[in-house]
Amino acid sequence: MTKPIPETQPWSEKFWEGTKQGKLLVQVCKDCKSKIFYPRKFCPECWSGNLDWIEASGKATILTFSTAYSMVEPKFMDELPYTIAYVDLEEGIRMMTRIVECKPDDIKFDMPVEVVFHEREGFFLPYFRPVKK
Amino acid sequence: MMSKGKIAIIGIGEVPTRNMPERTHWDIIYDTCMDAVRDSGLHKNDIEGVISVSPLAQPKISAELSYGKLPEELGLKGCKDTVSVNAGGASTSNAVRLAEQWVTSGVAKAVIVQHVTLHSTIPMMDQINYFAKAGVDLQWEYPYGTTYNIIMGLMANRYMYESGCTPEQMASVVTALRSWAARDPNSFFYGKDVPSVEKVLASDMLNTPLHKRESNVLGDGGCAMVVVSAEDAKNMKRPAAYKLGDSVRYFSGTCVMRDFNKVAEGFRVTAKEAMVQAGITKEDVSLWNCYLAYPLAHPLIAEWLEVAPPGQGGKYFLEGRMSFGGDIPWSTIGDAPGRGHTGSGVSSACYVETARQLMGKAGERQVKNCKYVYQNAGGGSGFNNIATIWGKEIK
Repeated sequence: MTKPIPETQPWSEKFWEGTKQGKLLVQVCKDCKSKIFYPRKFCPECWSGNLDWIEASGKATILTFSTAYSMVEPKFMDELPYTIAYVDLEEGIRMMTRIVECKPDDIKFDMPVEVVFHEREGFFLPYFRPVKK
Repeated sequence: MMSKGKIAIIGIGEVPTRNMPERTHWDIIYDTCMDAVRDSGLHKNDIEGVISVSPLAQPKISAELSYGKLPEELGLKGCKDTVSVNAGGASTSNAVRLAEQWVTSGVAKAVIVQHVTLHSTIPMMDQINYFAKAGVDLQWEYPYGTTYNIIMGLMANRYMYESGCTPEQMASVVTALRSWAARDPNSFFYGKDVPSVEKVLASDMLNTPLHKRESNVLGDGGCAMVVVSAEDAKNMKRPAAYKLGDSVRYFSGTCVMRDFNKVAEGFRVTAKEAMVQAGITKEDVSLWNCYLAYPLAHPLIAEWLEVAPPGQGGKYFLEGRMSFGGDIPWSTIGDAPGRGHTGSGVSSACYVETARQLMGKAGERQVKNCKYVYQNAGGGSGFNNIATIWGKEIK
């Protein structure tokens, strides 16, 4: 069953191009210096169109998570169980993601994680895995 | 600031929430609207405005309502205008606000606000497709496989981690809500056994920390209210529910952008602002008729509204204080988990219950000396919170 790919906007394509190169990009406003997520056409803080991108470190911590065991869309059933999380990047932005490469029981609040990209039909979704000690 | 005491609900009509695939939308609309008008004591031709809460994932009836069929179908000869309102679960609050504007500006002296939903006739795949995407960002959230259940799990998990709220305390919210629902003839669970904490926890884990019995059952239903000016309501000398306060804060449309602290502050501030408008304090509130859709959110809200001390929301539910017979009347139709989930219609049902309680028509669930009700609503996956205060009379 086909899984969904991100429905992009023209101003978010740079983000997805970055993921193809293993880069997690964060949009920034060159005028007010805001870091912006998700990417916008204009800065949501000052409405400037003078926008640019920086590469994030890919390091984050888990704010919260929920592991799914059932009652997800049929197209995701083959991946159960899986864990959805909100992670806070070092750059001060928050993303929804998947936590991978560990057992659900090993996932903890405030756990350090790092980005790892998972390919789906030409898109490379930023997932996160625990930082190896 | 919204005006205080300008409108009142003077008539209500409702059908039980059930699986009713044998009924059509219009079959239900006839019953709810005619019952509401009869309950108001008005004649059908006194109704000058009709506002529909837009049914979700039901494009045919939504189009018929939006394009003006209801006044014609019911023969409302005095109707001057009709419209549909859609803000998800916040639709009813906005429909009532629009009714207030129509009544106070002279567009209409009496307005029907109605909702109908037939989930059982929506093909299963259409339901899944609609609710998987509604309120979830299609670029930044949906591709990861999230669901409404998971969005709620994310918030509840962090709350439990920070507050120490136990799974037993969370499960007790279901017990509390169902204790009201078991006594509500319009509930899906009317007359049914109230599940114990142990039974809730023994049900399958859908996604942490949400058990199957902590999720919602979709149902069919409908209800209607008749809104008039507060002055007319007083002159009619009938039981009425007067709108006394209204406050709202917007949070975010995308779930991950929703700062938990901002949401908490939004709930606190809107409650206080609405109470200030109404000229009351939280000690005056007879019933906290909270609409949150999921039981897992109730302990948080109890704390945000300062009904329970910080970290004690779950404990209050486990002690039975919000259950039928407890000392804090709370969500007396059992919110969506108790009533059955009718999409945007749950908030409509909550408003009808608020009016029912203030009118003294709530039967076994009647809150004693019910003078003031806190009634909230929120849209989408929680993009806002609208707090309103309703009273039995105007001071």
